[in-house]
Amino acid sequence: MNDEHIRARFEILILPLMNDAYNLARWLMRNPQDAEDMVQESYLRAFKFFGSFREGTNARAWLLRIVRNTCYTALAGAELKGREVPLEEEANEIQDASPLPPAILTRKATIETVRAAIAKLDTDFREAIVLRELEGLSYKEISEVTDVPIGTVMSRLSRARDQLALILSDRKKNDQL
Amino acid sequence: MNCQECRDYIDPYFDSELDTGDAICVGQHLRDCPECRERLQSREALRGLLGRPELRFEIPETLRERLVSRFRPPAISLRERFLRKYTAPRIFVPLALAAGITLLFGLVFLNKNGLFEHPNASSLVDEVVADHVRSMLATHLLDVPSTDQHTVKPWFDGKLKFAPPVQDFADRGFRLIGGRLDYLNGQEVAAVVYQKNKHIINLFLWPSESKGDGLPRSFSRNGYNIVHWNRDGFDWWAVSDVNAADLQTFAGLERP
Repeated sequence: MNDEHIRARFEILILPLMNDAYNLARWLMRNPQDAEDMVQESYLRAFKFFGSFREGTNARAWLLRIVRNTCYTALAGAELKGREVPLEEEANEIQDASPLPPAILTRKATIETVRAAIAKLDTDFREAIVLRELEGLSYKEISEVTDVPIGTVMSRLSRARDQLALILSDRKKNDQL
Repeated sequence: MNCQECRDYIDPYFDSELDTGDAICVGQHLRDCPECRERLQSREALRGLLGRPELRFEIPETLRERLVSRFRPPAISLRERFLRKYTAPRIFVPLALAAGITLLFGLVFLNKNGLFEHPNASSLVDEVVADHVRSMLATHLLDVPSTDQHTVKPWFDGKLKFAPPVQDFADRGFRLIGGRLDYLNGQEVAAVVYQKNKHIINLFLWPSESKGDGLPRSFSRNGYNIVHWNRDGFDWWAVSDVNAADLQTFAGLERP
């Protein structure tokens, strides 16, 4: 395949996924500027690896995996990831408090409230929720992007949802007080 | 199934990721167990909150433009593209000859069978197919690569003398991937590009000369399927290598 054909296929398969790439990077990096840098870097890497992109590969999962790895490399480099440990502990405490997540969630939750609740989640849980609920990926695709078995995807999603339900219902109590 | 097992399965059940047998077991348990039903209701309430499209972060326009210009060859003018149609690389000459001979035999065959009623329509079908094939070979399938109809539609404004309707049908398996300007039937036209699995569909449209909503007509040429119809004052031409049934489904979505 010559360079023109690689470019043509990249344009058809990968370029239209810019929005998905940005959304994931924005959720993982937590700020717009880093997200922009990560998307640019990811596209450069994607283009470099695109020669080995095999026919029949799921293009979205393929690109999002590169985006995710690019983000994590940057986060590890900046040691930003360490800052999230307290959040994870906090999240676990929340989960132990009640085994049954509340069914009644605040109806007046604004976009900002829901975003803040997702942002509170530990990275593993946050990316599972973003990939499943915001990007609409299947378990198999999430497993490809995050490089963990489907069983792990399942349990992360389950715990992430329990935590989100609790955070969002806590908000309700606070709102009423 | 007990509550612990149901708890393990509730998310894949909710996400339609269980096989039928397991899904039936979970369904049975849910009928009998109010507590597990409550867990499912919690999932549904949560999805109600997470399903809002505004939760997603939209890519900034500056970044979009930077990526497009970085990963796409520089735009060429319509005139150049039009000229390019007739200056194919040498390697295509024998292919073109073969195609010409095939076409000749095809036309003779059609004529013999009395199917050749609209000579003008037929040459337009060939032009539409030729444009589709060229868009597959060229580096220029998309001027505006985007899966968002609210990005693609305004992009055409000011570039064409008409405003083409643009809709995404990703939920029905026809994903909008972008649009481009093209040159067909002696005029500038809109090409809205869709993807069905690995197949690309070009939807060409331009203001119609004939009034009224004509019934769709299907054609096929050299392995490509074409559906043409008139509606809302536009001439619509869908062309692709997807099978004829899928293309008709697509045409049905575009003309509800």
